[in-house]
Amino acid sequence: MLEHQLIQSTGFRNFGPVGAREGFAIRIRIPNYHGTRLSQLDGFDVTVDGVFYDHEINRFGIRDEVYTMAEMREETTARWGLTEWGEILVDKPGGLEPGVHKIEVLARIRYSYFPPDVHIFPMHAERYGTICIA
Amino acid sequence: MAGSFKYGVSTYSYVDDYGSVMTLEDAFDHIADTGATGIEILGEGQIEGYPNPSSQFLDRWFGLLDKYKLEPTNMCSWVDMRITLQRNLTVEEGAAELERDLRLAHQFGFKFLRPKFGVLSHDLIPEPQWEAYTERNLDLAHKLGVVICPEIHAPTPIKHEVVDGYINFIERTGTKNFGLMIDTGIFQDRPLTHWGSHQINDEARKHMEFLNGIKVPPEHFLDVAKYVVFIQAKFHDIDENLEDQNIPWQPVISAIKRSGYSGYLSSEYEGWRAPWRSIDQVRRQQVLLRKLEREYDEGKFA
Repeated sequence: MLEHQLIQSTGFRNFGPVGAREGFAIRIRIPNYHGTRLSQLDGFDVTVDGVFYDHEINRFGIRDEVYTMAEMREETTARWGLTEWGEILVDKPGGLEPGVHKIEVLARIRYSYFPPDVHIFPMHAERYGTICIA
Repeated sequence: MAGSFKYGVSTYSYVDDYGSVMTLEDAFDHIADTGATGIEILGEGQIEGYPNPSSQFLDRWFGLLDKYKLEPTNMCSWVDMRITLQRNLTVEEGAAELERDLRLAHQFGFKFLRPKFGVLSHDLIPEPQWEAYTERNLDLAHKLGVVICPEIHAPTPIKHEVVDGYINFIERTGTKNFGLMIDTGIFQDRPLTHWGSHQINDEARKHMEFLNGIKVPPEHFLDVAKYVVFIQAKFHDIDENLEDQNIPWQPVISAIKRSGYSGYLSSEYEGWRAPWRSIDQVRRQQVLLRKLEREYDEGKFA
């Protein structure tokens, strides 16, 4: 099962070849009380150790697929189930050092039943997470 | 004495716990142990593999209903009006969304379907297309024996054009397969401290004034009662003395009893999402509501 909080402990990891890491991933549960089409998500702003990574650039991985922000905005068929995890993929050449890092995520979920000007609803979460493998 | 209420619980009560410290079967256990007889779910939540569940999952669902002696009440669904940032759903697409969920609700044994329509304003006026795509599904709803019931939810009060619009639709079509769902959050008369997983700060209060309570007079329920088919018993915090901190249950129960309503009160906890807190909060509400119904029937209040 998932952890109660949005940002999961496991899955905070570097990706790309060992020795030439391309970035890091943050595993999260869905920032919503029900499953949704991917087009209802408008990306994830990430801040790690005070460095900001914009939702327009971060990618999203679920099951065996990776979506850019542009692809996710148009993905009306694939869905994210309530009990599945997904991961935010953040480009950072070299990845993160093994050890404890301060992670902040601002998940941007869209609700059609919220008034238009506030229909992108930000959900904020922060915690310390640990990168285990360089 | 008018009919008795039926008591149910919505799995929405257990959001955040569900899938982390609670399985589907745990939810059944928690609900059945309160003495409730009905289970309400979020379609795209508890239905594994939504919108195409496996036959194994359906078997499991009916096995759990049988084991815990619960009946399916209402299934919640959403019409994703703003399907992408670039465009809205067409009427045909909206009708297809509703049809998909009507068929699923029926397949899982539900008698009510609550769709969330897209809205255009801060007082939640629905997109104009709701009427067209709902009307196209009325025959199907009738065939399946499912009642479509959009919810009247804060900040929309009962005396409002949103409610008038739904009532006009019922009167115009003469349908028995569309009605109102009342969310008891509209009766909230004291401010919230937590809204789901969000602790409410001054900024949130400024943007979402309804979090302080829109204080609909419970008497207004009587004006629309004949159109009400389901009640989500929304609440946020009940203390150890069974005092609800936000919803004035005694006048609310009085008004609902006097209306003759004999359908479900389905517990919908929406308070602080600390792990496991929801479980006992739901138990407290079930006891509180039944106690008030009993006291009303015994003439202890009117």
